[in-house]
Amino acid sequence: MFQSFRLAMAWVHTWFGLVLGFVLMAAFFFGALSVFDREIDRWAIPSTRFAPQPMPSFDAILRPAFESMQPTPEAIAEMRPRVDGPMPQRFDTVESWSAYTTHRDPVVALYAGFDVPNAKDPEEAIWAYRTIDPRDGAALPDDHLKIGSGFFYPMHYSLTLEWRSLGYWIVGLAALTMLAALVSGVVMHRKLFREFFTFRPDKAALRSVLDLHNLTGVVALPFHFFFAFTGLVIFAGIYFPVGHTQLHGLHDLHERLEADETGLPHERAGTPAALASVDAMVEEAQRRWAARGMAGDVGFLALTHVGDANGYVSVYRAGTDRIALTGEGIHFKAATGEVLREDPPPTAVGRVSEFLTGLHLQHFRHWLLRGLYVLGGLAGCACIATGFVFFVEKRKRQHAKQGTQGARVVDALAVTTITGMVLAALSILVANRLLPGDLPARGDWEQRVFWFAWLFALIHASWRSAPVARGERNPAWREQCWAIAALAVFAVLANWIGTGDALWRTFATYWPVAGVDMALLATAALATFAARRLKADAVVIATQGRTVAVPEAAHG
Amino acid sequence: MTTPRAQLAARVAAALLGGYVFAWGFIAAGMSLLFAAGMEFHDAEFLASALGLLAFLAVFLWAFAARRVWLVWAALAGGGALLAVVGSFTQAALLGGAGA
Repeated sequence: MFQSFRLAMAWVHTWFGLVLGFVLMAAFFFGALSVFDREIDRWAIPSTRFAPQPMPSFDAILRPAFESMQPTPEAIAEMRPRVDGPMPQRFDTVESWSAYTTHRDPVVALYAGFDVPNAKDPEEAIWAYRTIDPRDGAALPDDHLKIGSGFFYPMHYSLTLEWRSLGYWIVGLAALTMLAALVSGVVMHRKLFREFFTFRPDKAALRSVLDLHNLTGVVALPFHFFFAFTGLVIFAGIYFPVGHTQLHGLHDLHERLEADETGLPHERAGTPAALASVDAMVEEAQRRWAARGMAGDVGFLALTHVGDANGYVSVYRAGTDRIALTGEGIHFKAATGEVLREDPPPTAVGRVSEFLTGLHLQHFRHWLLRGLYVLGGLAGCACIATGFVFFVEKRKRQHAKQGTQGARVVDALAVTTITGMVLAALSILVANRLLPGDLPARGDWEQRVFWFAWLFALIHASWRSAPVARGERNPAWREQCWAIAALAVFAVLANWIGTGDALWRTFATYWPVAGVDMALLATAALATFAARRLKADAVVIATQGRTVAVPEAAHG
Repeated sequence: MTTPRAQLAARVAAALLGGYVFAWGFIAAGMSLLFAAGMEFHDAEFLASALGLLAFLAVFLWAFAARRVWLVWAALAGGGALLAVVGSFTQAALLGGAGA
């Protein structure tokens, strides 16, 4: 049906890129913010503005915290449909306790999994979560939203649509589209290169948009491909749950073989047992790592079958000094503290897997690369954004002559996705500083502000979109740029007045907050620049006032 | 299958649904065969999934580039089903014919 391979690729690029570009934009933008998720958390929760801490003592700090953890009433209600018979209100059989921290975390996240009697899937546990100050074990109020790691981060892979994992599927399809757009874009680009020379000067604006689209797409092509691909690989178990459905038998076989081989019990013994000193086990693990010439920071500490004779403790080395999340696990018998097993070095395939996921999630220490990740992510946003603008600019005069609304609708959606998304992100930060500290379910209110701000940006962009139907520019672009500049500056001021952490103080003493403030000011400067340029352009266009025909080359 | 709109719809569906079925079959067959060949389970799962995702990308684009859409449907749905059967047979053989 397409006359050539190139035209087929152009169709895929244009239309899949358009429809899923809106989602892709969110994945790239919030992904770029997630690179500094811990730092955004510090900005949002002022009581956690202190230096990163190592994994605290289990015996003194973690154990009392774990022992007081229970699932929330919400988690219990959510679990109820997956249980036969009555639902207990208290859970005493602890399947696992675990704690995770990285070199950027002042606070430590705790996870407790409990056996659920009569669960339809006997493997399914019910979970409780808590974040504590590792210096004294004090719990953070759980309605204080970690805007970086608890909102922007899940937004970039699931849009926070948890219902039936719908958000994961939408973002997954967008990631597949990104890969297809990169391949098809390269196919188109070969021919486009020749067409550059046939462009006439009066198409300069359109051409520069396309130049920027190609530049940001091609320069960062390996980056874009890598992140879209590894994002899919990380969630392959959600998209293709083969091992938990069709090949469940093989999975069970593997688990039995693994338990035999590793000596780590897969099931509880059923006889209670005491817990030896976990601190002594951590010390032994660190001694063994040191003997291998490795740094001794603990990244992940996990207790399995807690309180049972089959219980064991696993200590994993933090991934600070290499491309991995954690590794070199050493496992101890919980009751006695004797070493059960040291994980062997990963296999070749295991190393590839560790490298791909480790490079995507970036929990290692490399601040320059961390900064480049943000630039790469923003280059992806620029590539997608210029794609939208090119789509609209190429069609809007033609649509104006035909009296159709296509370009107008796409343009309004583009405003919403580009400037509107930045506005929504700024709004949640401002709400975080303005809402009363003791407001119940504060985090839920912050999220509501985020979605309402985004909705408001959509309404504003649509309301102001009439000029596009006449072949002119939507003033919402400029107006939302001004709103971004104002909100970003306001957020910095609100942080200063609300917490006393002025930029000139944090600049010298606390980089996580200074960095967020400086990024906000840079955003304000860029938005001001864009708004002024858009104003100047609008004057030029108004005086030119002639229609520009564009050849139906690529981009169908 | 005559109007361009129906043609396009058939191709989009072939690329997404046919591509998904094919990738599923690819992963099921790849995973079970690699495991049968002695690879650790999660390694086999990772490798088959990563290659399966790249295969998805390739057949997704092919669905639009191919001349005949029925051929795309036959290759992706048929090939995917066949590969999935290979996966189940391999599993059955490894479990001693008990739990396909």
